[in-house]
Amino acid sequence: MNKYTIICLIIFILLGPFLLPNATITEMLIFGIVAISTNIMLGYTGMLSFGQALFFGTSAYISGLILLAGFPIFLAIPIATLGSFLISLFVGYFCVKREGLYFICLTFAFNQMFYFIAYVWTEVTGGEDGLVGITRPEFIDTQFSFYVFISILFLTSLYLMYKIITSPLGLIFKLIRENPSRAEAIGYNVRFFKLVSFSIASTFTGLAGSLYVLIHSMVPIDQIHWLKSGDIIFMTLFGGVGNFLGPLIGVVGYIWLSDTFSIIWARWPLIMGVIFAIIVLYFRGGVSELLENLVKKSQSYFKKNKDEKYIKN
Amino acid sequence: MTFLILSQILNGLGLGMLYALVGVGLTLILGVLNIPNFAHGVLYALGAYFAYSIAKMTGSFYFAIFLSPLLVVLVGFLLESQGVRRLYQAHHDYQLLFLFACALIIQEIIIIIWGPIGFSLLPPPSLSGALDLGILIYPKYRLVLICFAFFMIICLYLFLTKTNLGAILRAGIENRDMVKVLGINVNIVFLYTFGLGAYLAGLAGALSAPIMGLTPSMGLDILPICFVVVVIAGLGSIPGAIVAGILIGLSQGAATIWFPEATNVVIYLMMGLTIIFRPQGLFGVR
Repeated sequence: MNKYTIICLIIFILLGPFLLPNATITEMLIFGIVAISTNIMLGYTGMLSFGQALFFGTSAYISGLILLAGFPIFLAIPIATLGSFLISLFVGYFCVKREGLYFICLTFAFNQMFYFIAYVWTEVTGGEDGLVGITRPEFIDTQFSFYVFISILFLTSLYLMYKIITSPLGLIFKLIRENPSRAEAIGYNVRFFKLVSFSIASTFTGLAGSLYVLIHSMVPIDQIHWLKSGDIIFMTLFGGVGNFLGPLIGVVGYIWLSDTFSIIWARWPLIMGVIFAIIVLYFRGGVSELLENLVKKSQSYFKKNKDEKYIKN
Repeated sequence: MTFLILSQILNGLGLGMLYALVGVGLTLILGVLNIPNFAHGVLYALGAYFAYSIAKMTGSFYFAIFLSPLLVVLVGFLLESQGVRRLYQAHHDYQLLFLFACALIIQEIIIIIWGPIGFSLLPPPSLSGALDLGILIYPKYRLVLICFAFFMIICLYLFLTKTNLGAILRAGIENRDMVKVLGINVNIVFLYTFGLGAYLAGLAGALSAPIMGLTPSMGLDILPICFVVVVIAGLGSIPGAIVAGILIGLSQGAATIWFPEATNVVIYLMMGLTIIFRPQGLFGVR
């Protein structure tokens, strides 16, 4: 991360609440955690999991239930995050044994397994209606304090994830993406580090899920449905996986687009689908690569102009 | 009680046959093309909706069952030749995203054309009513469905084992690069495979319409089941997909007797047991 991206990030966080409604901007920050953590697994380790909604939704349910039981939020968030960490170890243990398509199939099927548990277990999860009637604690009752609370957690988890990516552990992840057999040959236990990457991504996704409860004071059941996993993958890829903050651009774009289209037309997923398809077929690097190319082009253009000036002089 | 158990076994068998058909279609596409086909569910839904419209227009149920899977094949050809073909070199993430996008688009088009409310498609008079089997009385259509699906699976088996194209498809699952090296035009093989997968999905959709009715979300509901069939079967195993499909159907039938609310959870329970005790899947080798 160079200093320009940090400045852009700070400007985004400071200006966000003035430009967008409170619910939208907090949702963007929360899904920002999800997408950036998914990128640790998807972009840096090269594992495509189609089951991230499992951790998001389960953690949202856990934190919602703890809040409903009357416990404070400082208990709800850590417990829910820990819960999604434990579930990710369990699910990950079975999934990382497999690669490629089988890994996608397994994570997808696990996602749907948890969805149906939430769907059937109506006494606890509220079934199809979702978990309702959660109240925000007093100290984050106002929109301003809630935004500050979420953005502090957002920046903290961003910092932690950046530390992970730039640490030797991050290098091992990249090595596994580039050449798993060489990683094995050097002496790294590839399966173990894949599990580590999977649980890091899933734990941060879980943290985001536990915060999501607070926005609308409820847990709708679609937060654990596999369509949400598709959205998460899309947000990550839309922004671009080659970049640490790229997925955040994807999140902002995705949420803004879907909010805008859903007002205009009830069949808005159609438009989103068309956008997905166009991006995959023509702009595979996502928005961040598009921006990088633009910056490079403009730089070379200015350079050219400068050179021409020198020649003239 | 025997009556209930027998009829639920038959129900489960019927469901299982449908799962086997869709599952085999998905197995072919996953195995030969090596792409995660997230549009498989909506192809199934399209099969049902096409059958509904054709039956309504022409008045012939049989004609609808014949024609609607062929229309789905056309949609499949379109998907493969216009989109998927450009993505064989790309990572799975982009293939997945593209097919997911196609699923969203087709799903919304179904709602736009046919509306968000579900329909029911009645079987023709010759197949409606019930048949007295001696020990139990059972709906005629479901019996015919089991026989017909069984017949289709036999046909598919003969196609895959006895014909040249079938051999190429099986070889493609085993070792795609070798098929290319042997001078076979893989583009056409991929197109046909996607078409065959789409045909099976469309056929299962059309056949399921009189039993389960039509809802716009039917494609999204069947998709995880298809993937579970593939996981239980072992990736790329066609006999495995048939067995796994029937097994899931039967266990759903059994669950209806004792735990009617858990019929959907049973599917994933089966999957969980499989990956604990046989991680490579029932018939998987890799």
